Amino acid sequence: MSPEIGRETALSLEGVSYTYPGSGTPALDGIDLALGKGEIVFVTGPTGAGKTTLCLAASGILHHEYGGTLEGEIAILGKSVRDYRSMGEIGRHVGVVFDDADAQLIFTTVEEEIASGLENLGLSREEMQRRLREVMEATGIVDLADRAPHTLSGGQKQRVAIAATIALGTEILILDEPTAELDVEATGAVSALLRRLSGEGTAVLIVEQKLGELAAIADRMVVVEDGAIVREVLPAQMAEDACLKHPADGGARPPAPAATPPGDAPPVISIRGLVHRYDGVAAVRGLDLDVAPGEIVAVVGENGSGKTTLVKHFNGLLRPTEGTVTVDGLDAATVPIAELARHVGLVFQNPDTMLFAETVEDEVAFGLKNIGSGDIGQPVDAALREVGLLHRKAAYPRSLSRGERQRLAIACVIAMKPNVIVLDEPTTGLDARESGRVMEILGRLRQDGHAIVMVTHDMLLGEEYADRIVRMEQGRIVYDGRTCEEEPCPRLCSTSPGRAPFTASTRSPN
Amino acid sequence: MQYVTRESAFHRLHPLTKLIFAAVVVALAVLTSDTVMLAVLAGAVVAAAIAGGLARDLLRQVPLLLSLAVSLLALTVLTIRSGEILCYLVPPSVPVIGGSLPVTAGAIDLALAMSLRFAAMLFAFQLLVISTQPRDLVHVMDRLRMPVDYTLMFLIALRFIPSLQLEGKRIHEAQLARAYNPGKGLAGKIRGLFPIIIPLVSNSLGKATVLGLTIDLRGYRSGRRTPMRDLAPGRADVAGICCMGLLVAGYLAVLVV
Repeated sequence: MSPEIGRETALSLEGVSYTYPGSGTPALDGIDLALGKGEIVFVTGPTGAGKTTLCLAASGILHHEYGGTLEGEIAILGKSVRDYRSMGEIGRHVGVVFDDADAQLIFTTVEEEIASGLENLGLSREEMQRRLREVMEATGIVDLADRAPHTLSGGQKQRVAIAATIALGTEILILDEPTAELDVEATGAVSALLRRLSGEGTAVLIVEQKLGELAAIADRMVVVEDGAIVREVLPAQMAEDACLKHPADGGARPPAPAATPPGDAPPVISIRGLVHRYDGVAAVRGLDLDVAPGEIVAVVGENGSGKTTLVKHFNGLLRPTEGTVTVDGLDAATVPIAELARHVGLVFQNPDTMLFAETVEDEVAFGLKNIGSGDIGQPVDAALREVGLLHRKAAYPRSLSRGERQRLAIACVIAMKPNVIVLDEPTTGLDARESGRVMEILGRLRQDGHAIVMVTHDMLLGEEYADRIVRMEQGRIVYDGRTCEEEPCPRLCSTSPGRAPFTASTRSPN
Repeated sequence: MQYVTRESAFHRLHPLTKLIFAAVVVALAVLTSDTVMLAVLAGAVVAAAIAGGLARDLLRQVPLLLSLAVSLLALTVLTIRSGEILCYLVPPSVPVIGGSLPVTAGAIDLALAMSLRFAAMLFAFQLLVISTQPRDLVHVMDRLRMPVDYTLMFLIALRFIPSLQLEGKRIHEAQLARAYNPGKGLAGKIRGLFPIIIPLVSNSLGKATVLGLTIDLRGYRSGRRTPMRDLAPGRADVAGICCMGLLVAGYLAVLVV
């Protein structure tokens, strides 16, 4: 697939196929793709389609750093990746933002993180200072300059990783899920920056699961499935193509589970005057909240608004600095975590944080054994059946796909039959189909009377699937109510414009 | 242990001065086993930290040092018999086994010397790390013509310490939420480590690949760095070097006498 007519080619892949070492099936299968200078190409597709492998191939990483079988030709600025001596040489022309933001932050302050890369380019001090200032302003991280990267929220880390890469000023940018953890505002800032860079001649390859603002700035969109490009969509077709709204599942996002309004049952979570301070800095600043059984509550808000701090009080991982938290009639300020774990299940954002057992079955049984459950086999099977993983019970947990690992993490929690299930960013890194499966599971659990609290920066997810939305800003609840009928909801999205409409018209011609 | 953003006297020193300081303290600590000299050396490092306003950060290492000292004491008392017998762990009045496990002055001396040596070295290294941005250390190591691989290994080691701590905490929290119980007895405690260690190692290995690629792509192997800010030594560095000179001179004088 050629770049737009009239553009000089910056990056090209011709008949590229790749098989990972030890794997029988190719991860990439005959990829033909070319990016022109100043062009933005958006690559999407379901989980496991080969999008990340495509990024690794296009940046020369597969050739220089990985084993396996690589066929076809990859050229960067007209020169084959085989002719570049090392990744260091490629790095002068190609900037890569990997999907794991945390792993690419090396230094001890945000400013140092960006400056350290600039210092390797042989620039004058004035130019380094200019680029540093410009990129920090453009990505909205000026106020984070002195913060240690490992103390930032996921979204903040992602912005720093993007800034550190963009500051290098390479002719080609490859971004793997760069906005997966960004809120609407930050995504808007990143897309504006990429649009400006493309206007200056930078070729940009973006890989994302979900369509949104970044898709709207693209010149072309490419859909990848099973390692091959299955369709390419040009700007004129983008606005009309219904399938593109959810390419992973053929256009249809799974329907929201039927709402069952909670009855008059007493709240299963009751919070009064909660304040939490980290080293004297307030992350939660006095909030009240009740959650009823059989209710799905979405806690939404910008990165760093206090969402995760709030939910960690439910199972005793954090204890209130002030105020009370009552869960299932227990005082969560004093009851041991092991006891609270019988009542509250917490699914972390990254399932790899908890997976350690040899088999899927053992992984689910771990929690049940910890709470001294007499019967292990039946609840394990029931939980795995619920999440659609019963047929994988003998598999090694870490060999499962990202979506399967997320469902396994949910199974580990629901096997313990807690009345409250808390999920931190339950659909990050999942495609529309896998996200839908997770939400279906949550819908069924709600009908069984579980209270579900999900923390998400994805406003649309909350609006589509939750009974109620709690919006947080700077440690306070600024909105608490039923899901809004209007879209975008004016009360909910007071500071956010909502998900950008899918259109190519926002793209400025070069 | 990581860089702390602060305006301290140590922060204002040239990275090379701090690197020399750490190297001098390590060398002096290794070259003697005299407990008094080691105590003076550790005291000098603490005094420097107090003068530089970083004493509180050093205090965080005290629990680690105390546990190390106790372990060393137990080890030396059980394995070394040298010098005057001070007492017996099993009093002589106990029938049959009375008078066994003597505590000797040599064993206590050795434990004390090793603990003080470790304290002096740890404190000096910590002062260097918490007051110097890693990129400044990289520049200095470049100027000293250290091989780039060693410099990068040092950088990555510094980077991984806080990261591993944080990841370990996150994994611990995730397992606690599943009612994880670290287990009882030695075997139980070892088994209880698996739910923490396995995800920690697996996740760290995954991150190491991305970290290595990032270092390459940002041009760290190019070896032609231009510091964004001046790293010229100032008066404080001259004063610091003079203090170190006095310390070394005093040390040598005591050795000769």
